[in-house]
Amino acid sequence: MSSIAFRRRAQLGLLLGPVSLFLAVFFLGPLAIMIVTSFLAPGLYGGVEWTWYPHNYGRILGFADPMFEDFDPVYIAIFLRSLKIAALTVVATLLVCYPAAFCISRLSERWKNFCLFLITLPFFTSLIVRLFIWVLILRQTGLVNSVLLNTGVVARPLELIYTDGAIVLGMVYVFIPFMFMPVYASVEKLDWTLVRASLDLGAGPIRTFLRIILPLTAPGIAGGAVIVFIPALGNFVVPAILGGAKVMMLGNLIEQQFLAARNWPFGSALAMMVMSVMLVLLCVYVIVSGRRGIDAATGR
Amino acid sequence: MKIFASLARGSLIAYTALFFAFIYIPLALIAVYSFNSNPINMMTWTGFTTEWYAQVLGFKTTVSENALYIESTDQLVQAVWNSLMIAASTTTIATMLGTAIAIALYRFDFFGRRFYRTVMFMPMLMPDIVLGIALLIFFVNAGVNLGLKTIIIGQCTFLISYVFIVVSARLAGMDRTLEHASADLGANEWTTFRKVVFPQLLPGIVGGALLAFIISMDDLVITYFIAGVDVTTLPMFIFAMLRRGIKPEINAIAVMMLTFSFVVASLGLYLRSRQK
Repeated sequence: MSSIAFRRRAQLGLLLGPVSLFLAVFFLGPLAIMIVTSFLAPGLYGGVEWTWYPHNYGRILGFADPMFEDFDPVYIAIFLRSLKIAALTVVATLLVCYPAAFCISRLSERWKNFCLFLITLPFFTSLIVRLFIWVLILRQTGLVNSVLLNTGVVARPLELIYTDGAIVLGMVYVFIPFMFMPVYASVEKLDWTLVRASLDLGAGPIRTFLRIILPLTAPGIAGGAVIVFIPALGNFVVPAILGGAKVMMLGNLIEQQFLAARNWPFGSALAMMVMSVMLVLLCVYVIVSGRRGIDAATGR
Repeated sequence: MKIFASLARGSLIAYTALFFAFIYIPLALIAVYSFNSNPINMMTWTGFTTEWYAQVLGFKTTVSENALYIESTDQLVQAVWNSLMIAASTTTIATMLGTAIAIALYRFDFFGRRFYRTVMFMPMLMPDIVLGIALLIFFVNAGVNLGLKTIIIGQCTFLISYVFIVVSARLAGMDRTLEHASADLGANEWTTFRKVVFPQLLPGIVGGALLAFIISMDDLVITYFIAGVDVTTLPMFIFAMLRRGIKPEINAIAVMMLTFSFVVASLGLYLRSRQK
């Protein structure tokens, strides 16, 4: 082996060694331990007993488990509700972002960059502060209600906060950059000559949209949908703040298992459910949109 | 047909204006109402005051006791201090490791490159809560006391990815002819790296570091699970306040946080977007 090849190897080792060690121990390691924990029995006073115990998963599905309650579909209901809220969030975020992406893609280079900057900026501001603002707007004595009351539109304050709607609104507000970037990437690449050709050949605007524009921007939509759906499904901050104690989502349930109920194996099993939904979505996504998939999903 | 086209265009522009209004009006509202003197109903304007800011910053005010929840500003100062310390440490570690892996993946061809890429994108796709609980289980099993140390390690696991992505973008857009020229003119590899590659890479590294800093300052979910009982960061402090009920001081804190994030993130995004 030549000395140059040897030096390249040494350099590579130096670059990759520390970060590999770090990620193996503190990232992949913890995930592996979580997977193991999800198959262990919960101890009586918190803690974990090292025995094979697949009932954590059965319990999610509602089956009776040797230690806890009888058949009870409460967890599967929470799971389904979380799926519903995450799906609604995806649809709403898409409706908010899609038309705006078209408008911004037609702007001049300078304005385009400025608009993208304005959309990315909120992502780097405190999540909790952005959600808190919506509490002020939506709560009983909040902005919307006081305006409606003072103008006499309603006689009693509306119940806006602590509803599914409030959670979806909060999620949309938080996840706009996640959806916008991939959607924008595919809208910007859209070949407008095809659209013109379609219109010239006599297809109406609706048909052109459905047959040309929508299929061509589908990879961006799919990418945005995946990266909004996954964090929305496991989110616990939004429901904790805008859902109050009324609306329970998977994220809150997991938090409760770890910090209040102290049933770590069950909490881990719930987290595994979130992970498996994520893996299924990613697989579907990669199959549907091919190898460019991952790059588009991360907005690159 | 022309009228239709311009009508469609007009409504698209109006829609986009609404889109930006939706993002920024709430932020503007909180900035305005943080100067509202009404101690009970924060969204009903009763007059201009800077008392809330003064209160948060620890000055003497005339605010009555029951309108407050911070018994002393010490707790808040401690939380801010913790957040800054954590952010400074995580930024240093994550920037070094993230830059190293970006250079390795862009400048070397080796077995397992795709695996590394996948691992780099995993923390960005995974819900925070999963990583949070995985780290909690890991640290408790390993017998590590939860605290500043665990927060710093935990945040680094996902901040590396952010730095990696920003630095990679910079590497991808870089002009390699300069490096070849440098090598042709007789500079050795190290000199070329120091004098040609690194200066070109620096804006990407600084940009990545700033973004890592701000994300670390704002992280709630992962920190929340691995902070233990003794350490509180700024986002955790506010989360706890919100769960106890809302009082006007929080407006002032929120606006100060927003301002800080805006300044640092703007700088980071500017450095990231500037190419060549």
